[in-house]
Amino acid sequence: MVNGYTASSLKEALTILAETNAVPYAGGTDLMLENRPGVKYLFLKKIPELRSITADERYIRIGAAVTFTEALASPLVPPLMKEAVSHIAAPAIRNAGTFGGNIGNGSDKADTVVVEFAADAKARIVSKEKERIADIDKVFLSRKHLGLSDGELIAEILLPRKGLERYAYTKVGGRQSQAVSFVSFAGVFGLENGRITNAAAAFGAAGDAVQRYRDIEKSLIGKTPDEAKKVKADYLRAYEERILVNQSRVGPEYQRIVCLNLLNDFLSRFGV
Amino acid sequence: MADIRFVLNGKETEYHGSATERLLDVLRNQYRCTSIKCGCREGECGACAVLIDGILHNSCCVAAGAVDGSSVVTLEGYRETARFAALEKAFAAVSAVQCGFCTPGMILAAEALLSKNPHPSEDEIREGLSGNFCRCTGYNAIVNAVSGAAKEGNGLW
Repeated sequence: MVNGYTASSLKEALTILAETNAVPYAGGTDLMLENRPGVKYLFLKKIPELRSITADERYIRIGAAVTFTEALASPLVPPLMKEAVSHIAAPAIRNAGTFGGNIGNGSDKADTVVVEFAADAKARIVSKEKERIADIDKVFLSRKHLGLSDGELIAEILLPRKGLERYAYTKVGGRQSQAVSFVSFAGVFGLENGRITNAAAAFGAAGDAVQRYRDIEKSLIGKTPDEAKKVKADYLRAYEERILVNQSRVGPEYQRIVCLNLLNDFLSRFGV
Repeated sequence: MADIRFVLNGKETEYHGSATERLLDVLRNQYRCTSIKCGCREGECGACAVLIDGILHNSCCVAAGAVDGSSVVTLEGYRETARFAALEKAFAAVSAVQCGFCTPGMILAAEALLSKNPHPSEDEIREGLSGNFCRCTGYNAIVNAVSGAAKEGNGLW
């Protein structure tokens, strides 16, 4: 194949990746927009190991070449992720776009990545020599910066099986379909024995990286919702000072206000 | 190096060009499938829609090499089917075609929808067609046409 390689197994793909400068191609929806001159693609869609959604004791494991449409049809994929995926583009793009590609494209606007940040997801990274499990924030660093070495490939996204039941997800865009996020928000709330165990809040599309501030989240951990209400103003002020916004077409102040409103709504939903 | 082998509208073919070319360009320029329209080249307008292994894709966002081993259907092939006849009749009945630029993509998006959901609600039709833009803004007529095809073509999907 001119300018392209096909692989029918993960082992074969990793060998090609180690020996060539081919760019991994899963759904192609972002790569074809870039249309890089002189590029060679390694086509991954027919590799069974990258196409399955499975579950073990701790994680839902989504293959990197699983499409968004396939995820929506899977009973294993948690509602938080399904809600985000259902708002991606439109059917034809969801039929092609993949979880691995959404990370690999390196866009802070990637709708599944903001969920992965809030969910404390991990990625299984493989190469010809080894494999490793990495936290999502060590893989997706910032716009067009990934924590991947040459020859490494994202094989699976690992979402925790437990703890994602209480959530909030909102995508703010210019229209209902085919919208690129102005701001996206994913929150995961945990409550045990009346006390807050998790208040994960992740913001996408506002800065050059997906943003999550664990130190601010900690200010709510261990409190009852009523106790958290008393420090909510300080908590929101801390975010106001920390959230990075960019010079997007909607403007930085709009982005900042939307981020804070979504955060406020998230906490209010769970009694804070 | 092997060529790109795929089935186009029911016929096996081999493409000898670059795997990185847009499927849109290959189908229009090499295979003269001019029902496929180039609207945006960004996957936003749906005018270049094709069915790959029965699934709706925007051919501007597909590399030629990605269809190796797959079956591709464009309107040139789909128009030979009874399902197309039902959709054509329904589109004509409610004047759902204005300039016609979006129509091939709309038809294939309708096929993709109806093959999964033979009796869609209006909301489901709008969702199914949400990636296909009609710059003549004839959306209501198109939605009515798909609804009509689902009713009149009962049993085809």
